[in-house]
Amino acid sequence: MSASTASRAGTKPGQKRGPSGGVVPWLGIAIPGRQFIPVWQRDRDVFLRLWKAEIAAPTIEPIVTLLGLGLGLGAYVELGGDNDYVQFLAPGMLMVFPMFGAMFEALFGSYFRMDQHGTYAAIQATPVRPEEIVLGDITWAASRMALNTGLVLLLLLVMTPWLGFIESPLVILTLPISFLTGLLIAGISIAFTSIARSISQLSYFFSIYVLPMFWLSGAFFPTDDLPRWADIAANLFPLFHAVSLSRALTTGELEWSLLGNVAFLLAGLLPSLWIGIWAMRRRIVRG
Amino acid sequence: MTAIIKATALTRRYGNFAAVDGLDFEVAEGEFFGLLGPNGAGKTSTIKMIACVQDVTDGLLTVDGLDVRTNDRAVKSLVGVVPQDDNLDEDLTVRRNLEVYARYFGVPGAVARQRIDEGLTLMQLDEKANESIKALSGGMKRRLVIARALVNEPRVLILDEPTTGLDPQARHLVWRKLRLLRERGVTILLTTHYMDEAEQLCDRLIIMDNGKALSEGRPRDLIAQHAGREVLELHLPPEESARVVERLTPMLGESGRIEQVEDVAYAYGIDESHYRMVEAMASDPYRVIFRRANLEDVFLTLTGRGLVE
Repeated sequence: MSASTASRAGTKPGQKRGPSGGVVPWLGIAIPGRQFIPVWQRDRDVFLRLWKAEIAAPTIEPIVTLLGLGLGLGAYVELGGDNDYVQFLAPGMLMVFPMFGAMFEALFGSYFRMDQHGTYAAIQATPVRPEEIVLGDITWAASRMALNTGLVLLLLLVMTPWLGFIESPLVILTLPISFLTGLLIAGISIAFTSIARSISQLSYFFSIYVLPMFWLSGAFFPTDDLPRWADIAANLFPLFHAVSLSRALTTGELEWSLLGNVAFLLAGLLPSLWIGIWAMRRRIVRG
Repeated sequence: MTAIIKATALTRRYGNFAAVDGLDFEVAEGEFFGLLGPNGAGKTSTIKMIACVQDVTDGLLTVDGLDVRTNDRAVKSLVGVVPQDDNLDEDLTVRRNLEVYARYFGVPGAVARQRIDEGLTLMQLDEKANESIKALSGGMKRRLVIARALVNEPRVLILDEPTTGLDPQARHLVWRKLRLLRERGVTILLTTHYMDEAEQLCDRLIIMDNGKALSEGRPRDLIAQHAGREVLELHLPPEESARVVERLTPMLGESGRIEQVEDVAYAYGIDESHYRMVEAMASDPYRVIFRRANLEDVFLTLTGRGLVE
């Protein structure tokens, strides 16, 4: 960029000035531009070098859980309709285990890039702004979740002739739902990463947020019959809405209430991105 | 002489602590400029503000006439930064590290490939292009970080203690590369606490302590001004040293002075006749050292010889 086209310095020393770096005062952050894309690409490039190790857990864990709980515990579970417990479990597997992908990326992955490997510091010296570094990491974490959903979906499709998991082509829409949910999960997770002072502190977040969200997601049992407070709590977690949508898209049984689930995820999107970007920017800039 | 970097009353505060405290300096286009100071002097904070990585608390800082506060993207695209730590992507190859970095600057692929080839050749890393970062020595990593800082063809190259932790051979190779870059017209700003490095490389420098500039000028002028031409070091036993100092003191002119630091006395503003006299007095002439004054004398005179922690 030619210097002559940009505005010349006009302020005098000591003069009261607003925040620098394009920060919008009432938001506390600059609006990220497309410069978040090379950060996403960097994360992707590292993943592509390590992908064999990276995709083992996200494919094995949901399938082992599905078959273990579904066929093992399922023998003792009586459901209302004609379905077996293993079929009840399958739609949830498209969301709950992929969620871990987004969460780990935004917790441990981002922590390492921020604190241990100096990746953020290296990028900070380029025209990429801190807001874009964080957004790049969040969108990559969401991509990991969608990718994991895709992997689980493939395996469910393979098993469908025997176990009857997938009943509707609408199931393909679980991919964008997974990506959207991943953005929310990653935004919230990276905000927590920004206040962690050591790797071990990240496990607090796992215990107080991720684990309750995992069990109350509606993947393993319906939450309607739980005490009212537990049902309300479940509804506050993004994963609950993702699983509700996944269940409908897998079975093809659509209801109006699903719009409410989509509305929750959409309404949570900007606040989740903002909290993640604002909090992590603060950490990066202050050091 | 046009100033490419201009700092006026530049200040960076963390709470009540001023890391940089009203610093004024200018760096001319094409100049090799040094910021010297002990740890905690404010060198790194200063360059982080130039690189738009940290906010300016007060004062004015411009790069090529652009205020760093309002033109962060434009300034960052003019500047290449070599940080203290080798923050390379360990999971990527040497070449991939540079490609990924070029994307942050929006350098188009074909242009980036050409610059990366040139950068690798310049830094003598051609043969390592497809190696992983773990396979590189400390000196190679340093050179790679310098190559990385060149992918945007910066007009200003900023290096934060570039040779800390390198062995002498690796250090001299980095110095040669930096001189080569300066010959090509790149403005270079270097922080260091190695005085020989500053003396060898810098056209001009400022010596900083506690966030303030103590002195500014060309290395040779600073030495002449603060330490004179020659220095006499007395590594003698205490009583003998005291006797010699007592004898020497009245012989020194107005510019002369003697500084006692622990077991060593340093005499400034002296000439060879003083040395002859002291040498004759000393029980062991090898413990009297007569040498050219250097930047280290200036630095220690200005910032104090005692250990500051």
